[in-house]
Amino acid sequence: MSSAPAHPATSHPAGADNRIVVGGTPTTWRDLPELTLPAAPVAVLAHSARYALAAARHHAVHGGELLLSTPGRVDEAMRAELRDAGFTVTDLGADAAGVDTAAAVAPADFRPVEHDRLWLLTSGSTGRPKRVGHTLASLTTVRGEQSARTWLCPYAPGTYAWWQVVTLSLTQPGQDLVVVEPEQLDDWPALAAAYGVDAASGTPTFWRRILHRDPAGLARVPLRQLTLGGEPVDQPILDRLREVFPTARISWIYASSEVGAAIVVHDGRAGFPAEWLDRATPGRPTLGVRDGELVITSPHHAVGLAGPVHTGDRAQLVGDRVLITGRLHSDEINVGGSKVSAGGVRDVLTAHPRVAWARVTGRRVPLLGHLVVAEVVLTAAAPAPRPDSPTVAAPTEPTAVPDEAGLVRWCADRLPEYAVPRRIRVLTEIPVKETLKSDV
Amino acid sequence: MTELSRAQIRELMGQVLKNQGKVLPDDDGADLREVGFRSLDFSELALRVEDETGEELNFDAPGLRRIATVGDVLDFLVELQRQ
Repeated sequence: MSSAPAHPATSHPAGADNRIVVGGTPTTWRDLPELTLPAAPVAVLAHSARYALAAARHHAVHGGELLLSTPGRVDEAMRAELRDAGFTVTDLGADAAGVDTAAAVAPADFRPVEHDRLWLLTSGSTGRPKRVGHTLASLTTVRGEQSARTWLCPYAPGTYAWWQVVTLSLTQPGQDLVVVEPEQLDDWPALAAAYGVDAASGTPTFWRRILHRDPAGLARVPLRQLTLGGEPVDQPILDRLREVFPTARISWIYASSEVGAAIVVHDGRAGFPAEWLDRATPGRPTLGVRDGELVITSPHHAVGLAGPVHTGDRAQLVGDRVLITGRLHSDEINVGGSKVSAGGVRDVLTAHPRVAWARVTGRRVPLLGHLVVAEVVLTAAAPAPRPDSPTVAAPTEPTAVPDEAGLVRWCADRLPEYAVPRRIRVLTEIPVKETLKSDV
Repeated sequence: MTELSRAQIRELMGQVLKNQGKVLPDDDGADLREVGFRSLDFSELALRVEDETGEELNFDAPGLRRIATVGDVLDFLVELQRQ
């Protein structure tokens, strides 16, 4: 399985010989491509899972200051922001030749390196993604001897959840990894069954999608551990997974890049026991509910976030359980794991020359959790052009009264596919109750 | 409750695809991946069915099944209306 290490003199992490399957090909951490990265701090934008894993291994072996993400999550403005923050921005594996042709753009200015610092880009629920500082140690939340497992890794490289699975496999012998590429997300059970995946972690949406799409294929995967996280976990999804895997351990986890892995529940029930509230145990997070908000003091917190962190998540005491049911501020719409700012979509709609008012909400749907929908009120007549609006331009923009399809096209030209409202209802009047506050 | 027929749901499905610049084939056995009918489209179709019937569909009710063809989608939504 293994071959001669590229750099025998370097110290590899304990999981270096674990098997990893990436791009459908088995290899090991040790046998991943050896990268030659620019001097730290470096922001690596990995175009494939293979190079993302290689960058993680590179950091584990050589240290340095690293931000790891994907090109899709870092637009031109973010690239410029990273350069301004002192990062050399490097695209890795952009073509078949991979690292040898890696394109690097030097930082705006040089600064001291924070050795061993790992930066994550949060998903940025309502605005720009922000950088959250960790180290490999603070991201390694599973310690102690574990049963040998082959883990599925369906997450996007560089996210907190991705690092959780990656650090587990890097640091623990016997923790193999099977990576799901984005195009395999709807058909991963065949890959997982072929490589004997017996542990998988995913969002409730991830599990719902596959339960609807291919339950028979899912049942053929020999799972002994199923983990849910990243979104509110309700009882129906736990129960449905239990039907398919009656003897597996089914856990849900509350984790974020800010507070780390803070809550882990194995009893197959939604929520966590109320008796865990305000219980201070050394080395463990302290959980609280303040004004309906989950507040966590965590030893796994990101840099600069010591002490109680207000998570923004709504927590409700129901019987003997504390249920985490969603975001307190409902600007965020979760479409199949992609976070959409309702205010951002509203801004696009109201930038249309014939839209006077818009309200954007999420509507519950199967598979994806929510879809973006909208209500609009049209202007009586086409107003004068609004040159100050960056999304409205051009004298060629439509001024005729748009129908639903026309408004959908308007949005589709300006938003990611998942953020485009799929239903847009045209109202005749702005609802009175919304005149004071017109957002969701 | 108004219940939509299979043909009516098929028409809605065609509308969803048309809005995406795609065409719904006549063959119920057509593979969804080849048609380009994805999760976003399926969810939109469910919304349209709900809007037509005025009733929320209960997706937790039906048993597990594989949805791979146009016919699977139509059968699923017809059955779902009766839950």
